[in-house]
Amino acid sequence: MNPSKGISGRLAWLWMVAVSLPSLVWATEKVPDFNRDIRPILSHTCFACHGPDAQNRQAGLRLDVRESATSQLDSGAVAIVPGSPDTSELIARIYDTDSDARMPPPESNHVLAAAQKEMLGLWIAAGARYDPHWAYVAPKRHSPPPAQRGDWSFNWIDAFVIGRLEAEGLAPSPDADPLTLLRRITFDLTGLPPSPAEVDAYLGDPRESRYEALVTRLLASPRHAERMAVWWLDLVRYADTVGYHGDQNHSISPYRDWVIKAFLDNIPFDRFTELQLAGDLVGPADGEHADDPVLASAYNRLLQTTHEGGLQPKEYRAIYQADRVRNVSGVWLGATVGCSQCHDHKYDPYTAKDFHTLGAFFADIDDESHFKNGANKIPTSRAPEKLVVGPFDRTKATEMASQIHSLENELPLHVLPPSIQPPEPETAEVISQRTLLLKLSADHKQLNREVMVTQSLATPRDVRILHRGNWMDETGPLVQPAIPVFLGSLNTKDRATRADLAQWLITPVARGGCGELTSRVMVNRIWSLLFGEGLCRSTSDFGGQGEPPDDPALLDRLALEWVASDWDLRQLIRTIVFSRTYRQSSNASADLLARDPDNRLLARQGRWRLPAEGVRDTVLYVSGLLVEQLGGVSVHPYQPAGYYQHLNFPQREYNVDTDSRQWRRGLYVHWQRMFLHPQLLAFDAPSREECTATRMRSNTPRAALVLLNDPTFVEAARMLAERAITTGGPTDDTRIECLWRQTVSREPDSHERSLVKGLLARRRAEFKADPNAAVQLLSVGLARSDASIDQVELAAWTAAARVVLNLHEAIARY
Amino acid sequence: MFDPTASIHRRTFLGRFGLSLGGAAVAGLLARDGMAATASSTGGGLDSDQFLGAIHPLHHSPKAKAVIFLCLAGGPSHLETFDPKPMLARLDGQEMPASVTAGQPIAQLQGKKLVCLGPRATFSQHKECGTSVSDFFPMIGSMADRYAIVRSMVTDQINHDPAHTFMNCGTALSGRPSMGAWVTYGLGSQAENLPGFVVMTSKLGRNPQPIASRQWHSAFLPGQFQGVEFSTSGSPVHYVNNVPGVSSSHQRDLIDTVTALEQHRLASVADPEIVTRIKQYELAFRMQTSVPQLADLSSETPETLALYGAEPGKATVGTNCLMARRLVERGVRFVHLYHSEWDHHGGIDKYMREICPPTDRAATALLTDLERRGLLSETLVIIGGEFGRTPMGQGQGAEIGRDHHIKGFSMLLAGGGIRGGISHGATDDFGYHAVQDIVHVRDLHATMLHLLGIDHAKFTVAHQGLDSKLTGVEPAKPVKAILR
Repeated sequence: MNPSKGISGRLAWLWMVAVSLPSLVWATEKVPDFNRDIRPILSHTCFACHGPDAQNRQAGLRLDVRESATSQLDSGAVAIVPGSPDTSELIARIYDTDSDARMPPPESNHVLAAAQKEMLGLWIAAGARYDPHWAYVAPKRHSPPPAQRGDWSFNWIDAFVIGRLEAEGLAPSPDADPLTLLRRITFDLTGLPPSPAEVDAYLGDPRESRYEALVTRLLASPRHAERMAVWWLDLVRYADTVGYHGDQNHSISPYRDWVIKAFLDNIPFDRFTELQLAGDLVGPADGEHADDPVLASAYNRLLQTTHEGGLQPKEYRAIYQADRVRNVSGVWLGATVGCSQCHDHKYDPYTAKDFHTLGAFFADIDDESHFKNGANKIPTSRAPEKLVVGPFDRTKATEMASQIHSLENELPLHVLPPSIQPPEPETAEVISQRTLLLKLSADHKQLNREVMVTQSLATPRDVRILHRGNWMDETGPLVQPAIPVFLGSLNTKDRATRADLAQWLITPVARGGCGELTSRVMVNRIWSLLFGEGLCRSTSDFGGQGEPPDDPALLDRLALEWVASDWDLRQLIRTIVFSRTYRQSSNASADLLARDPDNRLLARQGRWRLPAEGVRDTVLYVSGLLVEQLGGVSVHPYQPAGYYQHLNFPQREYNVDTDSRQWRRGLYVHWQRMFLHPQLLAFDAPSREECTATRMRSNTPRAALVLLNDPTFVEAARMLAERAITTGGPTDDTRIECLWRQTVSREPDSHERSLVKGLLARRRAEFKADPNAAVQLLSVGLARSDASIDQVELAAWTAAARVVLNLHEAIARY
Repeated sequence: MFDPTASIHRRTFLGRFGLSLGGAAVAGLLARDGMAATASSTGGGLDSDQFLGAIHPLHHSPKAKAVIFLCLAGGPSHLETFDPKPMLARLDGQEMPASVTAGQPIAQLQGKKLVCLGPRATFSQHKECGTSVSDFFPMIGSMADRYAIVRSMVTDQINHDPAHTFMNCGTALSGRPSMGAWVTYGLGSQAENLPGFVVMTSKLGRNPQPIASRQWHSAFLPGQFQGVEFSTSGSPVHYVNNVPGVSSSHQRDLIDTVTALEQHRLASVADPEIVTRIKQYELAFRMQTSVPQLADLSSETPETLALYGAEPGKATVGTNCLMARRLVERGVRFVHLYHSEWDHHGGIDKYMREICPPTDRAATALLTDLERRGLLSETLVIIGGEFGRTPMGQGQGAEIGRDHHIKGFSMLLAGGGIRGGISHGATDDFGYHAVQDIVHVRDLHATMLHLLGIDHAKFTVAHQGLDSKLTGVEPAKPVKAILR
């Protein structure tokens, strides 16, 4: 080290201390917290060169480990001298006036703000205390901070929130009004709004327990299971197509049915995890159907695959492994282990070896035959596959099978098989029975759906550490399945399996697992579904580059409670939505907005536009078009012609469903990875190529065009108009009320009424003058309208219904 | 005093965006967070009409304001277009030396005998610059003083789908923004009532390689920076046409009524998202007029249509190149044209004879037309595929072709800040390995951003713990030698 540089740094430090006394006073009250204040600075600015990645470490300096950071370097300097910023090389270098010596160097494109430098100095002055990264430490049971207004709380969640608010000198928002709360909880738990009858029943219910009763009812509903499935399918990247090259359909929809059924049955999350990662290995438990583990473990087949001509099998073996590592670590660990594919992680303690040992858990999965025999057909083949009956069809299938069986027994032998011409004329009864039998057999066959399954190879593939991720370099050592080293090791007698990995993810820390860590990742995401943001905002990155949680104590407590409840998801949600925090108004005063624009202190609820499926489902629901049916194959709503024109091998025809499948919920829409349905895309549904823990919420002209002009929404407007005319009473006023009550659950005020009446008058005049225009508008969509309604009148009301369906309020959750 | 948001501003930026505040609120957040440290301050909110780009002011003075990327999808052969290899002609029919191909990635020729295939085209030197271009491209060849040919391109991906993703997004991993999204996010759009990033496609109709919408996705950038697909036949943009039976005045009435209701509601809920939405509806309505006007080529002279070989109503390379000019004229930042069917594993002779003439005409017309309108100097035009083709032949006789090749291929750059009349870099005598002044895809990206006034290394967005860049994590640099 160059002594003169050291001196300039020291002078800078002394100067800073001299001029920033107020900070020091502040510091004595509030020592910087390593995880909250220091690690983010070091991680973002320093770790890329002075962090976990051993191969690319500069000057032998490692700042993420205290022992290294406080040891003498080869240069003789010591980066961090606890208690002594003015002899710490780190301080000298960040204040160095010589740009060649100053850290971070210009080529890093990082700049430390004055306040950040000051913070580092204060932290060293206070002893440079390191704390382990919060996400790698088992959650602790913290007590809520003391609060004056303890009586505000409904449950322990509120105790944490009010304590923090009081410490910040803030008060919680008033409770949301009952109608807002009803709409909020119904959207949050089911993805749909309450019906007008439900609104009346709830608002008219005098019981104090009405909210609790409501929550219980919603949580038990199939709609809730469907809503939760959307969340899970984003995480595990469920899609109906392979994702690469020809983007052919693959056979996977029974897995989606299993996920919905799992939420409907409220399967404990530990079992939910185990079945998906290793159902094929662990088999069914008591009470589970033999097919459940088969369907659940199709999780391992959800990744993008290809059979593009000229693919190099070893390259795709590496790509598939990386895909699985990214997903399993992203979903269950909230970690970006994928970043350590080519080198040790730059910011977190995952090594390149960890990446490969984690990948080795999946090296037993038989999934390479399609490299040779993947077919250019719809659906393509992705062996191994199996015919199964979906979980919602089992009863029906059993009934049909027994009906078929008895029919077969009843019919004269000679009519079987049916292809053989009967020797003598049959009775009418035999003919009808035989027809019935044929139909039943065909229907029964339809219930059997192909699904990709997970099967272990007799010998797992070798997994080598690929230097710099290069699949052509086969000089790296072979590795066995193992969890990331810094998180421990598995004590298995034989080669560790996916079942061992699953067990580790859900076993409590005290028993050698990381269950509470997994729990913390998941409860944070559940929280984000109910508040719009997680307690830790980076829902997919709990690493050093993620954000520390806004309320670590509350997050820890939620994680512990969930594990203690035997991973009861419904109980977790119930606890959160019973809190008063959840029931606050989402209106923020200007003061509160200025004070806490991001709502990190939870002095109010969140407000946001519904997710893509919610937009679709809500509009269909309020118009009366929604067809509610659990599970089944994917559906094909109206889509612009030619939207799949760029797909090939084979060329794709999009066949719009012309039966009731046209109006099913968004989660059942055919998920074409390369060309996601424009209706879903416009409202930020992800392509499901990778794990998505938080969706974007954009607000674009394209979304406006979809809501205005997509036939789904125009048709829904027509049906909503019909509803207003046929059930909304005799006058324009009562019908406008009907529109409002259906879509936004409230009465229109006088100004709103007059605006819609104005539009109605103008549209009536137009359609009266041009009845053909009315006919055209009413011809959009396959749903039949009541022919007895005057066409001009229906067209004018359709225009009015389009207005209300395009209101933000109709698709927003407050 | 320490501002706790300062250290995390970039990481939280998108998270905050995800919170879905309105434009004004986002602008406020950006300003408060000091986005200036990396992506500079912004003019106007992301959703506002005045959004001037995440990089504002620009890192340096720009040479180009817009980009037209004509992607010859499928991987055109550099050996029959822009990279003359006389030595390869002499080696025709001889086995490719193993030393050249040992340890190299191979696509469909895996396990096959590797035999040299001489160039299937003659080359001519053009203009005083002396650049040699294949006679498949006589017209573009005659304009050699307007563009630079990079003959030393390399990429990492040997199969079409990941190679396109790599060329467009800088990585083969799914879920990363495409370059058009990066550019419009960085610069904003100057187009009134049009999206800033437009994608158009054309094909001959044989059996083209598929193209994924991933190639124009905004991924973790805000949704408004996603490429919008324009079609020259049918409805130009999905849902841009009014519903049957709905007149323009009806639609106007509808939007005005919605807006009046939203404004009324705003008084009681003060939701900034409603403010944004009102603007988006207005913009959507204006797009309903402006997009069809744009797609209507009737204002173009017969001379111009002939120049491009454009056929109104038909999605040809000529029509699309003409549309590209109309788009940049209107301030669109990034026009991505995909012209498919360059995947000549077999029948390279006949297929090149088929596909080259219209492409030659359209590309020449584009440069000519942009130049005569004074637009070429501020528009970067890039022409090339996702990779090149092997010096080894694939198949036999008249059906002979070439396989995918990633270790050396060519790209043409013209306009906005590019030096004309030069070739840069070189492959070896076989046309196999780029050996001189190697230009990686990420260098191409760095060059493009540089010309637009952006330092690629400083243009980052935090995503999953990483400061993500179009140019990725490996070193990249602008190719200074081809800049004016």
